[in-house]
Amino acid sequence: GKVTSGEDASPIPGVNIVVKGSTLGTISDADGAYTINVPSADATLIFTFVGYLPQEASLAGRTTVDIVLATDSKQLSEVVVTALGIQKEKKSLGYAVQSVSGENLTTARETNVSNQLAGKIAGVTVVGSNSGIGGSARVTIRGERSIDLNKNQPLYVVDGVPISNGFTGASGRNNLEVDFGNGAGFVNSDDIESMTVLKGGAATALYGSRAANGVIVIKTKSGKGTKGIGVEVNSNTTFESVLRLPKYQNVYGQGNGNGGDFAFVNGGGAGLTDGTDESWGPAFNGQQYPQFNSPRTLNGQTIPYRGGDMNAPAGSVITPTAWLNDKDGVKNFFQTGRTLTNNVALVGSNAHGDFRLSYTGLNETGTVPNTDLKRNTVSFGGGYNLTPKFSARAFVSYIKSESGNRPSISYGTENIMYLFNCWLPRSVDVGALKDYWMDGQQGRRQFNWNYNYHDNPYFTMYENTNGQFVDRIIGNLSLKYDFTPWLSLQLRTATDYANDRRQFRRAFSTQRFPFGQYRENNIVTEERNSDFLLTFNKEIVPSVFTLTASVGGNQLRQKSDFLEVNAPQLNIPGIYNLTNSRAPLQTTQTDTKKRVNSLYASVQLGYKNMLFLDLSARNDWSSALTLPQELKTLGIGTEDNSYFYSSAALSAVVTDMVQLPEAISFAKVRASIAQVGNDTDPFTFTQSYNPSDPYGSSQVYGENDRLANFSLKPEISTAYEGGLDLRFFGNRLGVDVTMYESRTRNQILNIPLSITTGYNSRSINAGEIKNHGIEIMLTTVPIQTTWGLRWNFDVNFSKNRSEVLSLSDGLNNFVMASRRVSIEARVGERMGDMYGIGFARVQNTDPTKPYYDASGQSVGQMVYDSQGRPIATTDRIKLGNYNPDWLAGINNTLTYKGVKLGFLFDVRQGGKVYSETQTVGREGGIIQETLQGRENGYYPQASVQNDPQLLNAPAGTYVVGEGVNQNADGSFRVNDHRVLPRQWHSAWTGGRSIAEGVMYDASFVKLREVQLGYTFPDKFFGKVPFRSVSIALVGRNLALWTDVPHIDPEVMSYSGGTALPGIEYMSIPSSRSYGFNVSLKF
Amino acid sequence: CDKDFEDINTNPNVPTVVTPDLLLSGVIKNTLNDQVNEAWSIGNIVVQHTAKIQFVNEDRYLWGERTSVWNSVYGNMRNVKNIIDIAENTVPVQNNYLGVALVMKSWMFSLATDAHGDIPYSQATQAKSDAVYLTTYDTQESIYAGILADLKKANEILGTSNETVAGDLLFGGALGKWKKLANSLRLRYLMRISDRKDVKAEMQAILDDPATNPIFESNSDNAALVYLASSPNQWPLYTSRVGSFDEFRLSKTLGDVLTNLNDPRLKVFARPTEKSVAAGTPKIEGIPNGLEDTQALSYNGGPLAVSRVGLVFACLVCNDAGKPAPVANASRGLLMTYAELQFILAEAREKNLISTGNAETFYTQGIQANMDYYKAITPAEYGIDLTVPADYFTQDGVAYTGSQAEKLAKIGTQKWIALLFNGLEAWYDWRRTNLPVLVPGASNLNNNKIPVRYIYPLAEQSLNAAGREAAVTRQGPDNLNTKVWWDFN
Repeated sequence: GKVTSGEDASPIPGVNIVVKGSTLGTISDADGAYTINVPSADATLIFTFVGYLPQEASLAGRTTVDIVLATDSKQLSEVVVTALGIQKEKKSLGYAVQSVSGENLTTARETNVSNQLAGKIAGVTVVGSNSGIGGSARVTIRGERSIDLNKNQPLYVVDGVPISNGFTGASGRNNLEVDFGNGAGFVNSDDIESMTVLKGGAATALYGSRAANGVIVIKTKSGKGTKGIGVEVNSNTTFESVLRLPKYQNVYGQGNGNGGDFAFVNGGGAGLTDGTDESWGPAFNGQQYPQFNSPRTLNGQTIPYRGGDMNAPAGSVITPTAWLNDKDGVKNFFQTGRTLTNNVALVGSNAHGDFRLSYTGLNETGTVPNTDLKRNTVSFGGGYNLTPKFSARAFVSYIKSESGNRPSISYGTENIMYLFNCWLPRSVDVGALKDYWMDGQQGRRQFNWNYNYHDNPYFTMYENTNGQFVDRIIGNLSLKYDFTPWLSLQLRTATDYANDRRQFRRAFSTQRFPFGQYRENNIVTEERNSDFLLTFNKEIVPSVFTLTASVGGNQLRQKSDFLEVNAPQLNIPGIYNLTNSRAPLQTTQTDTKKRVNSLYASVQLGYKNMLFLDLSARNDWSSALTLPQELKTLGIGTEDNSYFYSSAALSAVVTDMVQLPEAISFAKVRASIAQVGNDTDPFTFTQSYNPSDPYGSSQVYGENDRLANFSLKPEISTAYEGGLDLRFFGNRLGVDVTMYESRTRNQILNIPLSITTGYNSRSINAGEIKNHGIEIMLTTVPIQTTWGLRWNFDVNFSKNRSEVLSLSDGLNNFVMASRRVSIEARVGERMGDMYGIGFARVQNTDPTKPYYDASGQSVGQMVYDSQGRPIATTDRIKLGNYNPDWLAGINNTLTYKGVKLGFLFDVRQGGKVYSETQTVGREGGIIQETLQGRENGYYPQASVQNDPQLLNAPAGTYVVGEGVNQNADGSFRVNDHRVLPRQWHSAWTGGRSIAEGVMYDASFVKLREVQLGYTFPDKFFGKVPFRSVSIALVGRNLALWTDVPHIDPEVMSYSGGTALPGIEYMSIPSSRSYGFNVSLKF
Repeated sequence: CDKDFEDINTNPNVPTVVTPDLLLSGVIKNTLNDQVNEAWSIGNIVVQHTAKIQFVNEDRYLWGERTSVWNSVYGNMRNVKNIIDIAENTVPVQNNYLGVALVMKSWMFSLATDAHGDIPYSQATQAKSDAVYLTTYDTQESIYAGILADLKKANEILGTSNETVAGDLLFGGALGKWKKLANSLRLRYLMRISDRKDVKAEMQAILDDPATNPIFESNSDNAALVYLASSPNQWPLYTSRVGSFDEFRLSKTLGDVLTNLNDPRLKVFARPTEKSVAAGTPKIEGIPNGLEDTQALSYNGGPLAVSRVGLVFACLVCNDAGKPAPVANASRGLLMTYAELQFILAEAREKNLISTGNAETFYTQGIQANMDYYKAITPAEYGIDLTVPADYFTQDGVAYTGSQAEKLAKIGTQKWIALLFNGLEAWYDWRRTNLPVLVPGASNLNNNKIPVRYIYPLAEQSLNAAGREAAVTRQGPDNLNTKVWWDFN
């Protein structure tokens, strides 16, 4: 008979064929053909091959049995790429790994490939930054181990060699915070064959220091397996639209709650409330007001000037126009984004070698006007067997990424969401802002609805651009020599070089930059790795013991040069060149270097292909833990720059050892223990003096506010992991459970100090974090019919807890980051806890503290002051934790012949998010909640709090907070103070100090991905030389279900280049995408 | 295999050793900029020089934590400490740098203790030198003893070594002026604690020996940072957004006082309302402090009828139609002026804390000096007439007549005017004297009390809990109404 693949009907060589219940067996030849002698005519044959579902066929008297094997996406990863690029059989692993195949990355795609892991891998949390196109993704594997928020990211490895993945957001200095994406986001998904996530310590121990938070192993595609020369084409077109915008109120326009009318005069307060930027103004009742977009007349004649053209002739008058709400103004500001990705690859192989040459063009325009990204990637991968023993492989990828503009983020005038979520009155006609220069003042004066605080959003997007131009080369080269079939030496070297140039333009008349500004950043990063690996691989006792042993070494060289030059003001508008500066240029330069040398060894001993023991050991020497020259000269400090760590893992395939019930087709138990050491950033030992802008001819320096420590030791984390892999009913049902615990101690931290010590932080070795959790991967095939219908239903579930066991002497609490709420690590508490000012509440636990109620009747009630405003707590209280209670990805795949329907739900349960949109949107009177208290309008006479007339105000013109007031004798009564709506909504956050009222349960369900694909059968094309054609309709992030108002809870904000999870701070709205994918091979 | 690691880990970007001049320039620049910003954002408001028409929380005493003085003082004190250590460890000792650093140190600590009360002092900024990571809070009484001793020492050692002081943005290395500042500050701080301590002998001792203890003699001795015309060393408010700048308006309290006195400085401090200008009858009118926000924005018919803060202090785009653009460096960053010293001497003489000179003379010189100061800094193109009316000094409201209480009230009022934009000094002084009489704004949220203190930064609750707790126990609740030690009346 003959064995062919169900995927492309090609013959499969090497298929294992055995007669059921016997030891008789054979394998198929190069053409997939086989012959076998059978004991009886009704014997049953079992066909098994890696990557395909096993199949049984009863002969029923036949002499020729042709078999079509169905591929098994789960089984494809049976051979997985482990540390250092070593491929191992999955069943031999003593730890959990999980993969995503390249096809899954290119059909329904994301510009930042890391985002594709969301929901697909148990234990992996991905949070995109919602900062527009190509933004960063914060990936954490099995929770957070480090108290330093920037140190919880995994290591990315391409073809066995690390690449750099920094967060490269601009700092928040001078309102110039932009997310320029992180390093791994540049990797081209079309060149990826698979992404494998190594989660636990044992899996990553060989990668050393940088792998403490897990490793994402990227294997690039090759031409292997192609007969002759082939061409592969993949074309993907998607459209993006905004997933969610705040729910605005549509009843009241610009104004400040005084109940009066509106009139535009100069957009700066000269008219009636035309200087305010709030929506507490008159209701939309069909009245007419002079507005910024109303026409002007001079002596009764219409002139070509608008209300907001402040250069209009003196004496001209603004003609009132209808007072309308611009319901869809913000929605219409955003546009349909478009992403075109085209990939062409030329592949080929023969007996001596293989190659793949690929070009990918990505052309993206964002949902925010005038944002774009063009990324061209040319990659070449190839290998050649120079002699039967000597082979060479190389991969090189050149990435040219150009973005004319990315949106500014964070709170401030440069971010359009600052306007849209808070400060754009509902009466402003957004479309009328499109023509954003004052007539005749092009390049000099923007046209706007307000000249007090804000920039015109179109002006912001079209003139104040943040461009980025990156040239990056990722490449590796390896040579392998097989001394004998069981002993080989591999030499490998790799480079990741990037030149990242950024240009920040600010036009004349920008609120923050009246004379404009031009800033250039030039960032050159380089990472080089060179290693050797000597591998011994032999069955030392045939059919009983196999031994694989490796010895290797690596040298890592890292370099990062940062140069910033700023022209703080410009001479001539519109000339964005450093020579056009009207003030002295400001320059910042930071060059860093680091080197780590390592030696390592690993041994895998296999017994009868069912019991495997893995041992590894590694020693690192890090320059970052080496005392610098000046300290050595002075004899200061102690040095501990060498650190050793090891791992052990055991895997036992129980089904091969003992007879289990028929229903159990596969059972494996695994366990591992591992240690990983870690170093720190370069120059941590340096106590430096830093320059700032000179004052005239006086140079200015100041000592760094971080106190260096001259005796830092390496960090060590220890991880334990145990797991069970069970498959039932011929792999129709599979359960893979992993439990783990890790402890990280001696973390190198900048612990904050009271500034009264003179310093804001100090580097120390401190703390112990315990991190434990469970991951469950459920794979099922509920339906599999003989006529070809198949339904795969897979669930990834994970739950993680990270706890702070200790910090350091005298320190019980570590503020990791803060912005309205503070993210703190407190001893005995969970990592990711958020603290902030809360509402004072009645208590009956401590008579010495305020709001004590001996009767206990009012316990828990909010307390209001004599003006009806919520009272704030004096101290910060715990407001929740930003980490989810659990995560789940639910993946469905239905296939029928060539048709495939897949949909993935991503579920996040628990965790809290702080919403700045709520805090400030309430003040601005812009969001829906602010209708509370003005259901019946404003009570005209009661513009003052405590006005006795407020007592006569009609219902629906004020708010009475639910809770109590404290009487003079200390007892409590039900709060009955009436508060005017505008006052109420800012009192709710105590004027931006109380966070409790704007914390939300961040649980959500997202329809993360939908694919409907069809692969045309070969016969469809007859003589046309296509080998495979498939088309697919794809969608990502199509729907969101959540209780959080206004925003996508899956958010991350930035502060000075640090990503802050759990804090929403005027994020650019996330987008849904939908489109189609066409893939051809010929 | 790590033989060149020590070179690789040597930071090539920044020095690990510096000379004191490089630090001094930063300390002066930063602290004086912080002074200006703090005066603008809270100091002028709480003493009712200015009032807010929008975002009125500060004006209603909804202050929350105010960390800027704390962070400015301790953050810059690190570099002061470095200057002191470098100066003391040089052979021979760099007494001139040491003296300058002690003056800055004294002034800076006074800012923090006057704002917060008991603060870390004796153990402050010793993390590097003595590994003190948790500081104890000292009593204000002991802090003032230390401040006065340091200033005395500074006066003694300045000019006793040979090195030239560079990086001195205040006096260009003129050590005589630093001596004058040291002694003038001594008088300021002796007066500050005069309700608690008998300071007569010490004050008199300073004045008895002017050769040894020189003090300010004219406006040319003012400790004032002169800003530069070009970015980024312009007047700190120069780059404000116009809307943010215009939230702050002339307070009716200051406006009424100056109007009643026909005081020419009113035209420097504020501009005629846009409404009155449009009507052809320019008039300067302030707004009461502490109104509720809706009311504040509607007061007198809206912002057009409320005076904006003067062009001298204004931002680039804060000019009026048809008026010249504000100058980037007209105004100065004030540490202490000759005028303030004259008022201190007037009060001291009036209270017989000193026997030198004549109270009325000091008082009149103080007024004149402040008038002269504004005359000197106001650009001619603003067209502001700063001629002092002939009867200014003889009118009832100014003439040095009446009971002692009335005289002290006049000194207090004129000092209050002269301390405009001088950091928080006007507030500190008002808390001591309660002069002039200020009434909390109508819609204040502080139980009808003008705050007399900043709360400790919330971060101290986490980072230095025991130290803070001891201070709170000693001093009273950590709120805006707990008086500091010297605030005795």
